[in-house]
Amino acid sequence: MSLLHAAAASLGISSNTLVVTLAMAAVGMAAGVVGCFSVLRRRALVGDAAAHATLPGVAAAFLLTGSRSLPVLLAGGAVSAVISLGLLVLLRRFTRTREDAATAIVIGVSFGVGVALISGLVARGVPGSGGLERFLLGSTASLSASEAVLLVLASLVATGLVIAFAKEAIVVSFDPGFAAAAGWPVWWIDFALVAITAVMVVVGLPAAGAVLVTALVVIPPVAARQWTDRVGVMLCLAGVFGLVAALAGVVVSAVVPGLATGPMVVLAAAAVFAVSLVCAPKRGLLAMAMRPKPSIMMPPEGPRERSRS
Amino acid sequence: MSTPPLLELHDVTVAYHGRPVLWHVDLAVTEPCLYGIIGPNGAGKSTLVKSALGIVPLSDGWVRFFGEPLDRVRGRVGYVPQRESVDWDFPVRAIDVVLMGTYHRLGWLRRVGREERRLAESCLERVGMADFATRQIGRLSGGQQQRVFLARALAQQADIYFLDEPLAGVDAQSQQQIFEVLSSLRDEGKLVLIVHHDLRTAASWFDRVALVDMRLVAAGPTDEVLSRENLARTYSGHLEVLDELGRAVEAGRRTP
Repeated sequence: MSLLHAAAASLGISSNTLVVTLAMAAVGMAAGVVGCFSVLRRRALVGDAAAHATLPGVAAAFLLTGSRSLPVLLAGGAVSAVISLGLLVLLRRFTRTREDAATAIVIGVSFGVGVALISGLVARGVPGSGGLERFLLGSTASLSASEAVLLVLASLVATGLVIAFAKEAIVVSFDPGFAAAAGWPVWWIDFALVAITAVMVVVGLPAAGAVLVTALVVIPPVAARQWTDRVGVMLCLAGVFGLVAALAGVVVSAVVPGLATGPMVVLAAAAVFAVSLVCAPKRGLLAMAMRPKPSIMMPPEGPRERSRS
Repeated sequence: MSTPPLLELHDVTVAYHGRPVLWHVDLAVTEPCLYGIIGPNGAGKSTLVKSALGIVPLSDGWVRFFGEPLDRVRGRVGYVPQRESVDWDFPVRAIDVVLMGTYHRLGWLRRVGREERRLAESCLERVGMADFATRQIGRLSGGQQQRVFLARALAQQADIYFLDEPLAGVDAQSQQQIFEVLSSLRDEGKLVLIVHHDLRTAASWFDRVALVDMRLVAAGPTDEVLSRENLARTYSGHLEVLDELGRAVEAGRRTP
């Protein structure tokens, strides 16, 4: 701890700020790793639905308990996120609503309910309700060191689970039919992946807020995919990108007064993404522009087959 | 007691959203062979395979492998799904795809080791794809992708193999290579079931065939089953192609 104080003092910040900043870096890393499989399984918007759906739960938890403690509010957010994902499944199974429409409906409605509750509470001047607005766009200013440590623990558990079950997640994401035939419980593995993503979204709320936290789960994996053809490398890179984006966002919003954390985190992630999009070898725009164009007249099979000898 | 059939389907019936797509299929295969599952588009050929493998739930009937339910013998059953079922932009290389064939034996949490890697390499070698081990799966041709999928099934080290349209959209060289590997599997005493749409090659490739059109029309030795009459019953809704098919089958029979 004294080391921490010394480090904080040498940076000219409080040790609380230092702990919170490092914690957000860990949360960003975990979000990047966990997000890989929601991107690979083409479920990027499901995380978005879960994120927006945390708001009603946060507000309801505040209403019911009157507590402002972060774990209580996040638990409320997790519950309403799970409920909304359940609604999503029911909409898909028992009505003819298509998946994209169902997801859009859940995002819109749950966010509407959340904002209505929070703005209602704030307008009535309910004591402590002002703090709820930070869940919209994210703010780490009011986080305590102990709360931050809790977020780090949850992040590490989520990351650990994804890495431990990477093999199972890969086979289910790549080829669900083969996975089912080989005896893997595809539905449960899918469910676990969505659940871990939902948890990660809740944990990321203080860093980026309900509207933007999904970017932290989606952008680093997509950026990482540019650089590699291997899932293992992609997981590592997404973790690094998420860490960098979260760290940069938190620092910038702390240094420049009046800037919310969430948008800064997302902009930092977007910068990493833009660089990856342009500069990555093989898949980058530059590499693709420099590669000689295959002739449209050539049959797709022929030239590749010949090139093997 | 006599040994149970390698594969036995009894009264297998499948319905999607209340609409039956497969009716009362009874089928027993007692000996290792190349077994063609043949029928028109939408006849339920893939559904038949998926229901046998437990991917699609049965509305009625049962399936036994070696006289046992599938869950007891998963490790002895290999599968090559249709190519369209896969995300080709997925970040896996050919060798990674083949390694997935070893996952079942590894079980939960255990990582791929040196032994699995060696097995996967030998399977790639067997389908003539060793030089492409580190190529991302989407950057292979259709025939090469199919050979990698076959290698993955080989890595399952099964006794019964199901292949769903392994030759669709595949170049001639890959077709020949795939067929040779499948024949060698049969010669090693494995049962290989192949969903197939091309009647011209069916006659010369398969030892036995089943004709399927939402129900089982006929099953048995290829020469007996691929008669004009059976084909007419199978492709009844496709009269315009029948004559051409009949001629094609005759031609296929003449060329060994």
